Amino acid sequence: MAFKLASSPHLKVKLQTQTVMRRVIMCAIPGIAAQSYFFGIGVLVQILLAVIVALAAEAAVLALRKRAIMPTISDNSAVLTAILLAVAIPPIAPWWLVVIGTLFAIVLVKQLYGGLGQNIFNPAMAAYVMLLISFPVQMTSWSIPTVIAQNPMDISLTLQAIFGSMSAEQLNQYKLGFDGLAMATPLDTVKTDLALGLTMTESLSKPIFSDGFGIGWFWVNMAYLVGGLVMLKLKVIRWHISAGIIGSLFICSSFGYLLSPDTHVGPLVQLFSGATMIAAFFIATDPVTAATSIRGRLIFGALIGVLVYVIRTFGGYPDAFAFAVLLANLCAPFIDYYVKPRTYGHRTGN
Amino acid sequence: MLTLLEQIDKGTLWRAHGGVHPPELKSLSNQTTIGQLPLAKHFVLPLTQVGDSALLAVEVNQRVLKGQSLTSGTSFAYCPVHAPTSGTITAIKPMPSNHASGIEVLSCIIEADGLDEAIKTDAHHAELSNQEILKIIQQAGIAGLGGAAFPTHIKLSPASEIELVIINGIECEPYITSDDRLMREHSDEILAGVAIIQRLISPKRIIIAIEDNKPEAIDAMQHALNSSTLANGTTRITAVPTKYPSGGEKQLIQILTGQEVPSGAIPAQLGMLVQNVATAYAINDAVANGQALTQRVVTVTGLNSQTPGNYWVQIGTPVKHILDTLGFNGNVANDKIIIGGPMMGHSLPDISAPVLKGTNCLLLPDSSEIADSVAEKPCIRCGECAVACPALLLPQQLFWHSKAEEYDKAASFNLHDCIECGCCSYVCPSDIPLVEYYRIAKSAIRTQNEEKKQADFAKLRFEARLKRLEDEKLAREAKAKEAAERRKGSMSSGDKNAVAEAMARIKAKKAAEAGTEPAPSNDIADKKAQIAAALARAKAKKAGAAAPTSEAAANKESAPADANDKKAQVAAAIARAKAKKDAAKAANTANTSGQSETDAVSANTAPAADDKKAKVAAAIARAKAKKDAAKAGNPATPDDAIAQSEADSATADKAQSADDKKAKVAAAVARAKAKKQAALTGNTAAPADVIAEADAVPAETVSAADDKKAKVAAAVARAKAKKLAEKAKQSIQDTDMAIEPETVSEPIETAISETRQETVSNIVNTKDSTDAENSADASVSLVEESASILTAEQQKKARIAATIAKAKAKKAQAKLQEKE
Repeated sequence: MAFKLASSPHLKVKLQTQTVMRRVIMCAIPGIAAQSYFFGIGVLVQILLAVIVALAAEAAVLALRKRAIMPTISDNSAVLTAILLAVAIPPIAPWWLVVIGTLFAIVLVKQLYGGLGQNIFNPAMAAYVMLLISFPVQMTSWSIPTVIAQNPMDISLTLQAIFGSMSAEQLNQYKLGFDGLAMATPLDTVKTDLALGLTMTESLSKPIFSDGFGIGWFWVNMAYLVGGLVMLKLKVIRWHISAGIIGSLFICSSFGYLLSPDTHVGPLVQLFSGATMIAAFFIATDPVTAATSIRGRLIFGALIGVLVYVIRTFGGYPDAFAFAVLLANLCAPFIDYYVKPRTYGHRTGN
Repeated sequence: MLTLLEQIDKGTLWRAHGGVHPPELKSLSNQTTIGQLPLAKHFVLPLTQVGDSALLAVEVNQRVLKGQSLTSGTSFAYCPVHAPTSGTITAIKPMPSNHASGIEVLSCIIEADGLDEAIKTDAHHAELSNQEILKIIQQAGIAGLGGAAFPTHIKLSPASEIELVIINGIECEPYITSDDRLMREHSDEILAGVAIIQRLISPKRIIIAIEDNKPEAIDAMQHALNSSTLANGTTRITAVPTKYPSGGEKQLIQILTGQEVPSGAIPAQLGMLVQNVATAYAINDAVANGQALTQRVVTVTGLNSQTPGNYWVQIGTPVKHILDTLGFNGNVANDKIIIGGPMMGHSLPDISAPVLKGTNCLLLPDSSEIADSVAEKPCIRCGECAVACPALLLPQQLFWHSKAEEYDKAASFNLHDCIECGCCSYVCPSDIPLVEYYRIAKSAIRTQNEEKKQADFAKLRFEARLKRLEDEKLAREAKAKEAAERRKGSMSSGDKNAVAEAMARIKAKKAAEAGTEPAPSNDIADKKAQIAAALARAKAKKAGAAAPTSEAAANKESAPADANDKKAQVAAAIARAKAKKDAAKAANTANTSGQSETDAVSANTAPAADDKKAKVAAAIARAKAKKDAAKAGNPATPDDAIAQSEADSATADKAQSADDKKAKVAAAVARAKAKKQAALTGNTAAPADVIAEADAVPAETVSAADDKKAKVAAAVARAKAKKLAEKAKQSIQDTDMAIEPETVSEPIETAISETRQETVSNIVNTKDSTDAENSADASVSLVEESASILTAEQQKKARIAATIAKAKAKKAQAKLQEKE
């Protein structure tokens, strides 16, 4: 008689990897929507482009590795990587930027390390850093937030900008601000201004800081925060890494701000500028490349927060999450090794 | 700061880490009262129980009654198994067991007669001593009914003081409701059982812990407690929040006391004892009613069960009988049949397996309840398993190392502390069967540890042996040095003629070795010696013919050639033995009768041993014959190398201003020859100078096969030597003083020869040349001792003979090296 034999437990929670990934993507929707609102439809174009390239690249590599394609494609992890990379790229960046970035993320950073669960580095962030170092001009040219733009870009103009059928002069018109300077992110602006000898107050009086934070960035960060809180509620992610990042970044920036308010960005600006919230809830929480134990995750998050603060304040780059996450990725196995929970029945302190 | 007992009295609960909340699904089976399952036609009772082994107390075709023990035993850990009904034992044979593997275990098969006639039981009265109660519990075969089936009487005889007894009514696994129903319906009996436990253990507190998803059971127990003798403040009912696996012993202790059972220890170390409610019921049944444990409550549940509920089921009832009687919607081929709950239960490979003492649930899920296992996906290190793990392990690291078979690393993550509760697998979004990996890793580690233990032991033994051999070697060297000094001191004046004589003998030997010409004219060599030598040679040749040694030499390394070589040696040894025996007999005859007559006992016997010198020659010839045999094995041996070596040693000895040159030279020659032989056989292809160096082959290089055997043999040889030496002494006393000294030394030589013979054959047999040489040395020195009472002349002779013996021993060693 052929019986169904199986090892215990026979019950299983219904949560699957693909469900986890899908929920993460769903929770990113408010942030993506806010980003599209403030920076134009280009954000969505970049996402679409990245997702298509990511799926194609993953399928191709799986075929080369002679692995089953469908089960892996359908786990949604490649889609999530593509989205996280696409939202980090300037919305009107040329198409090849996101294509190169996505290919790099999926093929080199993820699949060549063995695919899902095997990669050491966060694929989206590794690709971002690669693009930032290789194409610094394209990667730092953000479009003017639509609310303050004199002539906002519509869909056809965006497509023209992305797919290269727009002349450089024309393109510049959308990138240049009031003062005729290339538009940068608020954090970039602050950094440049501080380098020029302006005080923090003077810098923050610029139109891009109209509401005390960078225009648009505050709301984008708020939207990602909301999505992140939903994920916490759904137990898609655990709170430890996000809390570590936000906590340490807050403490560090408060400390700096109290010491020297003229040369340091305040803690709230730090938290609601740039990539803080999306990184804290969507990027750094990638379980594959993070530490695994609870204490380890707190340390992992705190490490990212400190690194972000240090690079933002003292480093050469306006934003630092990609670097901070990659550096913390490197430390994750080390953290895991030294931060083991005390097993039941094993006494502490001996 | 409150003490633990005060906190317990307050009802304080602690938090256990991890755990999951699977759907409880208990209402499926806990709505009806416990039913009685009809008797099966036949019962299968595995005879092996947790605990110690027992003796079979019944035989095939014997009629047994309900409650009759099928085994007997006297040890403390013995836990009997009883016939669940009356009937006839039809077979005692291995049957598929109630185990995930379905492994067959020896079982009694009882064909029920339907009468259900019970064995006569004594109604126990209240005036029992604790020891008597424990005996009753043991004889009733009561084992932990929570699932582990550990003999209860062992648990109730703790070595240390127990302060807290926990009665486990948690029943945290989904589906199972047997304890729930038992508590609802038999709370008084359970409390009576708890009272017995209290009497036996005298704990300070007793906690009856029940999960808060069983309010009816809590009420019933509380009600029963209020009216029982236990209602004096030491016993309390505690409701525990529902969470799996709160019912695990370690988790329950943590929840109720905040303490953790140390890794690898048992709760008794914390002064705690955990017993299941059903066990308490069974204890009462045994002590108050004299009933052996022959039935238990089993939850039959799952959507494939037509009549889910709880039933009194006779232990030994085949699962098939339950399915047939209660109705099974599924089909055996496609649907899982699970013994135990869905979290820790095992699927059953064979439904003829019986219900056991620890079987609390028969789960018959349909495919909508428990999905087929899906393919494992990659671990995304989400850490949900670590959150769920009640043992605070890092399951994904354990999985990582277990899958990679890095078991040492898995062990370093405390794999052995895994309780296999299944929480990690339950929450895993990648559908990884984590617990399965841990089970495999655990058993692999167990196997590895076992092997390592054995290897360590072997290493220890080997090192001890090396040390012993080294010590023996040192002792031997010291002894040899001492003997040499003694010899030096006792030696008389030198004699150049003796040297010349020795040289002549060497030449004679060489000639004999070559086998081309008769011994040159020499005052020792006479016709009889030649005849003896020829006979010996013939024998050696015969032995050589029997086993083609030349072929053996050609294929030294191949096994059959080895065998041949060995055979040849054995044959040679036999031949030598015969020759020696005859010689010895002849010598004895000469000693006792003083006549020179031929001993006709053996066909091989040489002519009468009237001349002592002839015998010496014969002995030499035998040695030569032996060497010839050895040489036959090594046809490539360069003769000139031998000559060179001999000459060297001879000159060296000549240069020495020793006193007794004759003896020394003879000894040196013998040694040189033996060494040379050792060198040659050890390395036939080596040039002569290398050979000359090779004489210092260390004993360590000889790989000893069986030193014990060798030692025994050596001991035997020594004993013989002693005996012979004594005989020799005696014969000296017995013999008329007129007899020539040479004749007196005869038995000594014989003794030496025989001893050597014995030793050599032992060497061949045991392959341990080191010990054998040692024993040869020992016997030689014994003989030397006995010879020391003789005259200097006799001593000389004895020494020569001893040296020959030594040389032969060395030669044998060389042969062994060659073989290896």
